[in-house]
Amino acid sequence: MNRYVHFRDFDWLLLIFVLIICGLGVSEIYSATLGTKFIGMHVKQVEWITAGIVLMFVISLINYQVLLEFVPWMYALSIFSLVSVLVFGKKYLGARRWIDFKLFHFQPSEWIKLVLILTMAKYFAEYRDNDLPFRELVKAGLVVMFPMLLVLKQPDLGTALTYVPIAVMALFLGGMRARHGIILLLVAAVLMPAVWKWGLKPYQKERLSTFVAPEADSHGAGYQVIQSQVAVGSGGIWGKGLAKGTQTQGQFLPVPHTDFIFAAWSEEHGFVGAFFVLLLYFGVLMRLIHDAQTAPDRAGVFLIMGVVAVLAFHVLVNVGMVVGFMPVTGIPLPLMSYGGSSILFTFLSLGIVMNVRMRRYVN
Amino acid sequence: MAGGKAPINVKSRLLKFGLFLFAWALILCGRLIQLQIVQHGVWTQRALRQQQRTVDISPQRGVIYDRNGQELAMTVQVDSVFAVPSEIPDPANTVAMLASILDEEPQAMLARIQAQKNFAWVARKVDPDIADRIRSLNLRGIYFQKELKRFYPKRTLAAQVLGYVGMEDVGLAGIEHLYQDQLNGQPGKLVITMDARRKWFGHVEHPPDPGDNVVLTIDEKIQYIVEKELAQAMEETHAVSGTVVVQNTRTGEILALANAPTFNPNNSHDITPDKLKNHAVSDVYEPGSVFKTVTFSSAFDEGVARPEEIINCDPGYVLIGGIKIHDSHHIGTVTLEKAYAESSDVGAVRMALRLGPERFYKHMQAFGFGQSTNIELPGETRGLVRPPARWAVSSIGSMSIGQEVGVTPLQIVSMMSSVANDGIYSPPRIVASVTPPGQGYRRIEYRPQNQRRVLSSMTSAVMRRLTEEVVLEGTARRAILDGYSSAGKTGTAQKIDPKTHAYSKTDYVASFVGFTPVNNPAITIAVILDSPKGLHQGGQVSAPVFKRVAEQVLSYLGVPHDVEPKVNYARRQLVAHAAESDTEDTTEHQGSVVLDLEQPAASPQAAAQAAPGRTAPSLPQAAAQASQPLRGTLLPAVDARGGTVVLENGGHSTVPSLLGLSMRGAIEAAHKAGYEVQVVGSGLAREQQPPPGTYLPPGSKIAVRFAR
Repeated sequence: MNRYVHFRDFDWLLLIFVLIICGLGVSEIYSATLGTKFIGMHVKQVEWITAGIVLMFVISLINYQVLLEFVPWMYALSIFSLVSVLVFGKKYLGARRWIDFKLFHFQPSEWIKLVLILTMAKYFAEYRDNDLPFRELVKAGLVVMFPMLLVLKQPDLGTALTYVPIAVMALFLGGMRARHGIILLLVAAVLMPAVWKWGLKPYQKERLSTFVAPEADSHGAGYQVIQSQVAVGSGGIWGKGLAKGTQTQGQFLPVPHTDFIFAAWSEEHGFVGAFFVLLLYFGVLMRLIHDAQTAPDRAGVFLIMGVVAVLAFHVLVNVGMVVGFMPVTGIPLPLMSYGGSSILFTFLSLGIVMNVRMRRYVN
Repeated sequence: MAGGKAPINVKSRLLKFGLFLFAWALILCGRLIQLQIVQHGVWTQRALRQQQRTVDISPQRGVIYDRNGQELAMTVQVDSVFAVPSEIPDPANTVAMLASILDEEPQAMLARIQAQKNFAWVARKVDPDIADRIRSLNLRGIYFQKELKRFYPKRTLAAQVLGYVGMEDVGLAGIEHLYQDQLNGQPGKLVITMDARRKWFGHVEHPPDPGDNVVLTIDEKIQYIVEKELAQAMEETHAVSGTVVVQNTRTGEILALANAPTFNPNNSHDITPDKLKNHAVSDVYEPGSVFKTVTFSSAFDEGVARPEEIINCDPGYVLIGGIKIHDSHHIGTVTLEKAYAESSDVGAVRMALRLGPERFYKHMQAFGFGQSTNIELPGETRGLVRPPARWAVSSIGSMSIGQEVGVTPLQIVSMMSSVANDGIYSPPRIVASVTPPGQGYRRIEYRPQNQRRVLSSMTSAVMRRLTEEVVLEGTARRAILDGYSSAGKTGTAQKIDPKTHAYSKTDYVASFVGFTPVNNPAITIAVILDSPKGLHQGGQVSAPVFKRVAEQVLSYLGVPHDVEPKVNYARRQLVAHAAESDTEDTTEHQGSVVLDLEQPAASPQAAAQAAPGRTAPSLPQAAAQASQPLRGTLLPAVDARGGTVVLENGGHSTVPSLLGLSMRGAIEAAHKAGYEVQVVGSGLAREQQPPPGTYLPPGSKIAVRFAR
């Protein structure tokens, strides 16, 4: 079967889109870190991207069918690592998220996204019915719910939330009935007050309440929400120019090289720049959906769409946060925001997409 | 794989998801359009507001000058130290170093600084050497800001007059307080904008308007003399407090006003209310015998008594309204002159009784008692003089000897000046002018305003003679000056004990108020010491202060001697002789003046002025030279020598201001007032001698310098 696998079938167009986004991200990281203690981060970002590309090619070579074989092991290992984190994890800023391996810090919750995508693909590849009864829905849901609860326990709400779209996408494609969807939404709505009361930490509540009324506390928790909109709005149509954004450079905008990189970009490159980046992301996602349509099997579709779900969720939530539609959750913008984990994860998932695509003509 | 392509159902759902993404993208784009295009202006304004800070620039506070342009209060640039706490790497260590330099509690300072994130003052307006020491530490997060600080270069000099300012340059006492609005000016606006490189640029949107300057009538040198002598008196007498006022007798200008205890306005934390108190304007005290000057002069002025009149002071007391008023020593049957000189209570009561309440009260009011003098100082009190309707039967007696009336030292000195200055009351003034910022010091052209006649010229002349007798043969012999004639009145008033509301047996207010030279007064001096220990008579403790101050001030002002300068045997003889025969005293004294003039070379002043080669200038010439004022504006016009002229010339009028007039205008104005003009130069009148407001007999010449 390897005979037919060729890099000719690699999605070069997708890679070009991705690399343009990465390039823009690097330039904005350069601009946003000028004169701060993070200066020079753009070089490290280039290194991460390079590593990511290599990883992507490596992953694309391993047949995803083989990967799927290992899913039960991977799932078990994930649960084990999450439990270890809770037991042995390094406590930092009140949360246990990492295991200190001396050489590097291992944060399992990031990689579990990938495992969950694979798990869902495997689950629905084996469940071939186009109709998804409620019992099956709950079963599939619990597969995602279990690690999610462990991550919530750390606590890491932001990462736990990113598991939701994986499950939702899989259930949606798996044939979830509209009726069941509504029931789930209603259950979530009913549970909301209870979660608010017992499930959320005070700082999380604060973020949510300032999202609803940011002006009420424009110097405290509402600061980030407002500053982001000031930066975007003052950018205008054409922007203020690279490294000339007063809000970005003046450090009014919080973390302009990571979570709020889109705000920094919008300030310095205006509506034109912001629209261009959105178009690129839209292009990437559409290209991924196109790849899903041409996938050789049900598992491939679910794999690619799992990646789409995670990426789309990140983009929508992050941009939504920047323009004031979403609360501040600490979710980075994939490919643009500075950060090794985010970059490596994104290229890794793209590697799986390429993996599926390269095998589309294989019977 | 057998499954092949994904089922149709999945494909349709992929399409639905694609549509969902598209919708989301449209909504985000709509939001971007809303933020970046529709609301662009609003957000840009908000961004600008963040990038701009508007800071008030404190205006330069005006200078307070003395009459000769010496700066008494000025503004200097000093460093203030502030911290940006978020930039300090090791706050505890940094604060420990700062605290040791600034001599502060490190814990408190640390708490204060850590309470802030971006800005906290460490120390404001510090001394240059402290600023240098902090600068040399080169601490991270510690910065310097130039600020304007009020500085009093003469330290304690005239402290109660000047007052002091708080940290924000707000005047809290004295002239600083009263002239706050004028001195302060208008703050400017500095807009600080941050550019994209995190650099802050300030641009002055509205420069601060500096404050006006205030020129005082105080003379720094005289003030210094007075403070030195007052300090010595305080040390010698252990008085609780004391005040000395020196007034230009002719114009009412205050040349010096000193208080003890005093303070240094540069160290505002060192200031206590008792040091801050300006006793000269805010103390109300019972003047005691000094007030007999009012009683006697009023009686003479109303024609109810004559100085040569013989009065029987037996039996050494007088009963009035059931109260017995005693003389301190029995003087028997004497002239009124003698009764005044010996400070007879019985004599004073008799005078007041002859006047009657209404006339006595009218005269007290005319002298300004019970009214504000409106001097340009805060906290002035009016004193207390009740109208006759509220007098007890005995009140007139008490008042005649200076009890039951409350006066301020300033009112007393103005009263004595009126007596000396031909009976004309000139309201005391301490601010000569307020000049606009650019102009700095401007020479004083002081024109007395609201002058009024209190006594006739004749009464004034009589009182000058009587007050001189007090010095020469009465209670104030310690006020006899070397080289000048002097006159005045002592007072030793018992203080009212606040506990018993009765007159204290131990606490006195010892005062002496006098003027000099007698027949052409230049200065009036009041010396008031509160509760001196040991010697407590005005003549014992206050008169010597008068003597020391007067001699130095007259010499500084260059006032010509009217008495043989050296206190030699002959002078002592003369004084002793005068004591024996009071009626002859005046003439004898006149004689001494003549003696002085007859030997002009003996006087150092005259000798200096006499041209070399000329051995003995003729008498009128020498007189003219001797009377040439050295410091024009300070010195009253010197007319012909001696009091005789004054006696002959009842109808003095004031010299008009000719300044700024054309030559023709000046001559016309002078003629109208009854004077001749001696023209020097051409153009507009720039200087005149004597200055405006001086009393000068009609027909005299006014020298006017004209210039273009």
